[in-house]
This record gives sequence, structure tokens and C-alpha cells, in this order.
Amino acid sequence: MNIITLTDTTLVVEPQGLDKLWSFTRKLEIPLSHVRGATFDPGANQEPKGLRAPGLAIPGKWAGTFNKDGDKSFWNVSAPSETVVIELINEHYTRLVLTVDQPRSVVDAINIAVQPG
Amino acid sequence: MGRNRTFIEADIVAQCAEIFRSTGYEGTSIDDLVQATGLHRGSLYKAFGSKRGLFVLALRQSAGPTIPTDDSTDLLLVALMELAPRDPEIRSIAFGILSGVAPRHTPQSLGERLLERACETSTDEATTKDSA
Repeated sequence: MNIITLTDTTLVVEPQGLDKLWSFTRKLEIPLSHVRGATFDPGANQEPKGLRAPGLAIPGKWAGTFNKDGDKSFWNVSAPSETVVIELINEHYTRLVLTVDQPRSVVDAINIAVQPG
Repeated sequence: MGRNRTFIEADIVAQCAEIFRSTGYEGTSIDDLVQATGLHRGSLYKAFGSKRGLFVLALRQSAGPTIPTDDSTDLLLVALMELAPRDPEIRSIAFGILSGVAPRHTPQSLGERLLERACETSTDEATTKDSA
């Protein structure tokens, strides 16, 4: 599980509890200008995720950094049905795949926050 | 990095617009779009950013300089019904289309199209492959 917070200029992702440990990540802070958009995508977890390094992948839990086709993505998924995908640009990760509470409203909030003006 | 793109963006957008028209915005999953376009999920995200990004392109593309077709009106209706109430940018695109230089849509024509669409039997549902 992750908590996503939006400030005026940044998107903050905080893996909760032991997920911090599995994903080797306490907090990600992304400037909103580097966020291309968010999508509610329960099917994302069915895809090949790529090579994991470092992180954890056991049935029902995927956390950490995965490399595929030259792109790094950050995963912290425990409930695939509540998964959002956040696409980034000019960042260490090109994509964040995260389980959050109320994925639809999180996606709407992000997409509205990144709109110009 | 990664591989070069070998698909034509406008074609992909048109294929996705077709799905949005028939199943609506929320009713369309990324799996549906992956299946319809034959692209990898990662390529879709990389090219368009999000499902919303793809929808915005589809809406803009369908509202090109031509006379509105039933297809472009349907997509506009989806935008007005599902996204406009909660998404300021899509609302302004939709109203921009509505108040074009020579207004091509009227509340009357939109309503008529909505009723007509409701009565269209979905015979083409089994063969939505590529009617265009």
C-alpha cells in the first residue's frame, strides 16, 4: 500500500509499513512537471514486469525497481485490483505502479493537478 | 533508450477512439486498448502517458476541420457525459469543439444523435475489428 500526497508542485509517494523495506524506498518526491499522467489499471499486474533489482517479488506482492526494455519502473503492488500507473518523464523511474486506496479518485486528483493553468 | 517506435500515432489514436466510443471512457480498460492496438502496455504508456492522454488526443483528432460525423459526435458525447464534469481541460476542449468557428453542433443535434445512438442495434459489435 502507498499513500500519495499532492502539494502545489510535487507528487509524494510513501510506501507504508514494511513496504518501505521491500521496495528499498521510504519516499519518492516527483515534481508535478515530470508527471505525464495517471491511469487506473487493474490489469497492469498481469504483465511481465522485467528484471527486479533491488526489490521483492512473491505471489501477491511486488515491490522495488524493475527493468524492462531499458526503462526502470518502480512497483509497490499488493492489491492488483487497486493499482494505478503513473507515467513520468525526466526522472529516475519512467513509471510508477502502485496500489492505493480509492484508485479512481487518486487518478483524477493527479490528472487535474498536472494540467497546465 | 528502448526501441524505436514503429507505429503511427494517429492510427493508434483512431483505433482507441473506436473503443472509447463503443464502451465509454471508464468502461475501457488498458487491457482493451492493448488488445485493440496490438501494442505493448509499456509502449502505450510511453507514447500517450495515460488513458486520459490518449482520450484527449482522440477527442482532438476526431474534432478535426471536417464536418462532424456520427463517430466524432459520439466521442464528444462520451467526453461530455463522463469526463467534462470533473476534468477542466477536457471540459474546455469539448466546449471549444461545441463553439467552433461555425457552430456545427447544437443542443438539438447532440440530443438527436444521443437518441439515434440509443436505438442503433449493435450488430457490428461482433465485428468491430476494423470497419473504418
